[in-house]
Amino acid sequence: MLKIIGFILTLIIAVPVYAMDGTQLLKEVDRNLNPESYESYRKLINIEPDGRKKEFTLFTVKKGVDKVAFLFLAPASEKGRSSLRIGDNMWLYIPNVGKPIRTTSLQSIVGGVFNNADILQLDYAAEYNAEQIEETGGEYLLHLKAKTKTVAYDRVKMWVDRNKKVPTKIECLTEASMLIKTLYFKEIKDLGGGIVRPSVIETDSPLYKGYKSVMILAKIKKREFKDEVFTLTFMPNLESLR
Amino acid sequence: MPKIKRQTVIAALTFPLFYALSLSSTYAEEYTFDISEIEKKPYHIGGYAELRPVLFGLDRDASLYKLRFYNRDEGATLEEYNAALQLEGSLEKGISRLFVRTNTGYKKSYLGEDQETIVYEGYLSLKPSSSLTIDIGKKTLKWGKGYAWNPAAFVDRPKDPDDPELSLEGFIVASADYIKTFQGPLKTLSFTPVLIPVYEHVNNTFGDVNNLNFAGKLYLLLYDTDIDFIILTGGSKTARYGADFSRNITTNFEIHGEFAVIEDYKKRFIDKSGNISEKEFDAESWLAGIRYLTERETTYILEYYRNGAGFTTDEMRDYFSFINTAYDSYLASGSDALIKKGLNITEGNYGRMNPAREYLYLRISQKEPFDILYFTPSITGLLNIDDKSYSISPEALYTRITNLELRLKATFLAGERLSEYGEKQNDYRIEFRARYYF
Repeated sequence: MLKIIGFILTLIIAVPVYAMDGTQLLKEVDRNLNPESYESYRKLINIEPDGRKKEFTLFTVKKGVDKVAFLFLAPASEKGRSSLRIGDNMWLYIPNVGKPIRTTSLQSIVGGVFNNADILQLDYAAEYNAEQIEETGGEYLLHLKAKTKTVAYDRVKMWVDRNKKVPTKIECLTEASMLIKTLYFKEIKDLGGGIVRPSVIETDSPLYKGYKSVMILAKIKKREFKDEVFTLTFMPNLESLR
Repeated sequence: MPKIKRQTVIAALTFPLFYALSLSSTYAEEYTFDISEIEKKPYHIGGYAELRPVLFGLDRDASLYKLRFYNRDEGATLEEYNAALQLEGSLEKGISRLFVRTNTGYKKSYLGEDQETIVYEGYLSLKPSSSLTIDIGKKTLKWGKGYAWNPAAFVDRPKDPDDPELSLEGFIVASADYIKTFQGPLKTLSFTPVLIPVYEHVNNTFGDVNNLNFAGKLYLLLYDTDIDFIILTGGSKTARYGADFSRNITTNFEIHGEFAVIEDYKKRFIDKSGNISEKEFDAESWLAGIRYLTERETTYILEYYRNGAGFTTDEMRDYFSFINTAYDSYLASGSDALIKKGLNITEGNYGRMNPAREYLYLRISQKEPFDILYFTPSITGLLNIDDKSYSISPEALYTRITNLELRLKATFLAGERLSEYGEKQNDYRIEFRARYYF
C-alpha cells in the first residue's frame, strides 16, 4: 500500500518537474533563436513544384513578448508594405490603401506556405505551454499546446538539439492533430552578437503538395525600441528605423 | 506639363511590361541573400506602369446613356485604352524625409485622347522622435475603417467602391501625429491634428475658398479595439464629426463600423418636371462590416452602408424621369437645354459614386484555389437595397511573375428601369489590367 502511495506521490511531484523542464527548455530555445528585442533582415522564398521562385525581403523589429513588426524591402510590388502584431492583434499597412487594416494570423501576406503567424512569430513560450518532453537520441521532443484559441496552431511538436538548444524540426498541428506544416531548421551560423542559430528555415505542407517556402536570416541584432514604434500610427514610418 | 509625344508616353509605359514578361522565364538555380540587398539608401525611386484596355457594353435605353450620348451614336460597345505611370520617390536626411507620388494617365476613348499628370502626394515629413511626426504638403490621410466606403474620411476624396485600393490624390495640409503608449487596457493613444487651407489656388476643390479648416483624429487601441474620433470644422464645409472602430472577434473574424454626421447638409434635387429644390438637414451616415476568413482561405468582406446624404428611391426615380423627358424634348425640338440642365445637376450630385441611401457590399475572394499559387479569383457584389438594382464583378488576379500583376475583371449591371444600376450607361464592362512595379 505504502509503495502505491509512494508511486502516486512520485507521479504527482514528477509531472510538474517535467512541465517545468519543458517550459525552461522552451524559454532557452526562444532566447537562442532571438534576443527578446531585436532587429533582423530576412528573405522569404516561395518555391513552386517546377522550381520557380518568388522572393521577399523583410526588415523585422521585435520588442518584448508581444510586439513585432516587419517592413517589405523587396520586391518592388510589395515595397513599403508593413505588418504589425501586438499580441493577438495583427494589421497590414499598404501604402496605396493608406490606413492599416486588420488581418488574421492564418492569412498569408506573401502567399505560399508561410502564414502571417510564421512571419510575425512571437516567443514560443509566450504562445505555448510545454505539456510533455521526451528524449530521443540527440534531441528533445517538446509537445506544445497553445495557451489560447487565438494562437495559429493548436498543437506543436518541436525537436530540439540537446547541445545547442535550438530547434531542428517543428510540426504544426490542428487541435485534431492534423499536420498543417513542417518547419526544418538548417545551417547553424554565427550571426554576430553571440547569436548562433539556424539561419535557414524550410517549410512544406501537406496542404500545398510540392510547394516549399524558405526563410533565410541574414542579420540579427539586439536592439531596444520605444513602445510607440509598435503602433498603427507608426506603421508608415518603419523605414525610418533602418 | 510639357508636351510629350504620345508614342513616347506609350513606349515608356509599355516597355517595363514587356521587359518583365521577357524575364519571366529566367530563374536563378540557387537562392542567395547578399547583404548589399538590404543596404539602406538615402533615396528611393519606384512606382508602376499600367496598361488597361476596357470594353463597355452600352445600354442604349438607359437614362445615363441618353444623357451622355444624346447627340452621338457610338454603337453597342465602346472601347477604351488606358495607360498609367505612377512614380514615387523619397529622399531622407536626418529626421526629415521628402516624399513625392505622381500619376500620369493616358486615355484613348470615343472622346479622343487625353493625358494628364497629377501630383497625388508631395510632402516633407519631420520626425523628431518616434512619438512625433510632422508633415507639410500634399497628402492623403485615408481615415475610416470601411473597405468600400468611408463616410468619416472627411479630408479624403471619395474612393471608388469598385476599386477601393486605388491610390487617390491628396490635399495640401499641415499635420502632426503624436503617439503615446500605455500598459493596461488602453495600449495606444495617438492624436492627429490637421490644418487644411482652402484658397483660390490651394485645395479649391475641397470646399468654399478663403478658409483655414481644422480636422482632427484621436485614435485609441482600447481593449484590443481600434477606435477613432474624427472632426472637421472651419468654413469650407459645414462641420462634421464621426467615429469608427475595428476589432478582431477571433483570429479569422473582424468587425468594423463607422459613423458620421454632416451638420446642415444641403441636398439639391430635381423633380421629374425639372424643378430644382434644396433641403437642409443634419445628415447621419453609418457603416457596419465584417471580414471573415474560412479554413479554406476564402475571405468574405461584407458591408452595409447607410448614406444619410443620399437620395431616396423616389428622388432617384424623379431624376431619371427628368433625364428621359429632357432626351425626348431634344429628339422633338433639337434643343439640348434640358439635357444641359440634367448634366449640371448630375455633376458632383446624382453623378457621384453611390448617390443613393442604402447599399450592401459583398466581396468573396479565394486564395490560391486548386493549389495554384499567386492566383486569387474573387467576386464582388454591390446592391442598392432600396431599388434592388445591383452590379456584380467577377475577377481573377495573378501575381506569379515577380512585380507583375495581371487582373481580368468583368462587371455586369442589372436593375429595373428608373433604378440606379438599371439606368447606368453600361450593361457590362470587361477590363484587363497589367501592372508592372519597379
